[in-house]
Amino acid sequence: MAHSHDELLSFDVGALAGKLREHEISPVELTEAYLDRIARTDEKIRAYITVTADLARKAARKAETEIATGKWRGPFHGVPIALKDLCYTRGIRTTGGSKILADFKPGHDATVWARLARAGAILLGKLNQHEFAYGITSSNPHWGICRNPYALERIPGGSSGGSAAAIVARSAAATIGTDTGGSIRIPAALCGCVGLKPTWSRVSRHGVIPLAPTLDHVGPITRTVRDAALMLNVIAGFDRNDSTSSRERATNYAANLDGGIGGMRIGVIAELNNDLSDDVRRAFDGAVAALRGLGASVEEVSIPSLPMAGIVNAIITWAEALEYHEQWMRSRPQDYGADVRRLLETGMMTPAADYVRAQRARPRILADALAALEGHDVLIAPGSGVPAPKIGAADNLAATGQGVDYVSAILRFTSPFDVTGQPALALPTGLSGDGLPLAMQIIGRPFDEARVLQAGAAYERARGPLPAPAPL
Amino acid sequence: MTMPLVTAETVKRVIHELYDYEIADQDAAMTANTAGAIITGSRHLLSLELEAIEPPFGYAALTAEAARLAPKKKR
Repeated sequence: MAHSHDELLSFDVGALAGKLREHEISPVELTEAYLDRIARTDEKIRAYITVTADLARKAARKAETEIATGKWRGPFHGVPIALKDLCYTRGIRTTGGSKILADFKPGHDATVWARLARAGAILLGKLNQHEFAYGITSSNPHWGICRNPYALERIPGGSSGGSAAAIVARSAAATIGTDTGGSIRIPAALCGCVGLKPTWSRVSRHGVIPLAPTLDHVGPITRTVRDAALMLNVIAGFDRNDSTSSRERATNYAANLDGGIGGMRIGVIAELNNDLSDDVRRAFDGAVAALRGLGASVEEVSIPSLPMAGIVNAIITWAEALEYHEQWMRSRPQDYGADVRRLLETGMMTPAADYVRAQRARPRILADALAALEGHDVLIAPGSGVPAPKIGAADNLAATGQGVDYVSAILRFTSPFDVTGQPALALPTGLSGDGLPLAMQIIGRPFDEARVLQAGAAYERARGPLPAPAPL
Repeated sequence: MTMPLVTAETVKRVIHELYDYEIADQDAAMTANTAGAIITGSRHLLSLELEAIEPPFGYAALTAEAARLAPKKKR
């Protein structure tokens, strides 16, 4: 049966898996639809740094042959995806969104891509991002300004801005992002899609350009909670190439998505339930009401040390990022964008004692978070305090000292869970009066992604999909 | 608690002497301001009663990474 491109692009991974397996859809026609979509939209969105069209077509033909001969590898077989350009891809340019690595072609694949490739996924290309993942705007001075598909004059968030923009622009079926202070969840929240930061060490970081290794996470950005679970099924698990990856057994994260939340006990984090814009407040209160309507009990809980998490995250990131970048800060400082260079220069002023103190604060903050989870299955908080700011708003504040501190208004909701390493899922709660996506987070115990996803899936079913952005 | 004074001049000197390049006065002032705020914030972490808390580096992490790096002997 022939499908129109629009029809093909409308299917999420969960739907595509069955149709590809049953030969209702060909990986070749699906890949062509996505490549055509990229060609038609990416001039406006700038979600991609590199499009690997020839490789994608070759992989699609191979997938078609394999599926036709009964060698189905699983839900990602024949599914076109894309990777944040922080992830190594053997022989394919991997820039990290930088000028410094503009011509870098790794000799091996990141484990996360190796696993997706083994699962039969088709690589459409490498995605735009904030330079070296060090910022939340994705206004990239070297590869173009990435834009929010819901409002082209606004940021998609970052640092995995291209990963979320490509999902919402329907120029990839699923993507990979990374998260050190919120870089998966912020773009998911601001663009209106789903982003899962798994537990630290749940997904291998091998072959992923680091920002701050003790805070860095790798995870899916997708259209639906089910797609995030399916992707986590592929990428989770111990990796001998990453000694920090966990030996904790990975489970089937999609198994309980239909389980509902009747009787589930949910805590609203008091320290993050304030200073919200009117739209965010309305949407978050609506989400709480919806969760209660689904049979969950919801009450406020406190994590007293959580307000300190932002400074802990900042100190650790400043110190660890500088260590990775130090050689280039000596030899090529002029090749960094102004904002990233300034952050690295701030790292030069960070005393070693402060770094160790920040690390010592992490167990305290995690202990407080676990105490808040006593008697609760998951915690919730807004995904951001504000909808997507206009492009240049953060730069304007830095230059003039005038205006809203959007960076703080966004990061304070996400960075604590990089500090604690807990799994955290961002998913849409609705649109603002201006038609901008709004979101909440669901946070769980370490390695309890399954319950986080279960709660997210129940809420997502009740809410229904967001209205699509205007045609690009 | 008073904010430690990190001056633009200090920032410029560190960058000049350790990294061998120059930055503009305005950029140095902004970095100094941020650095001062960080160091102040770090002092506030002491209110979390960190005395008895180990930093989460851990010997297990050390040995696991060493095992990954250790050359395999050929039999």
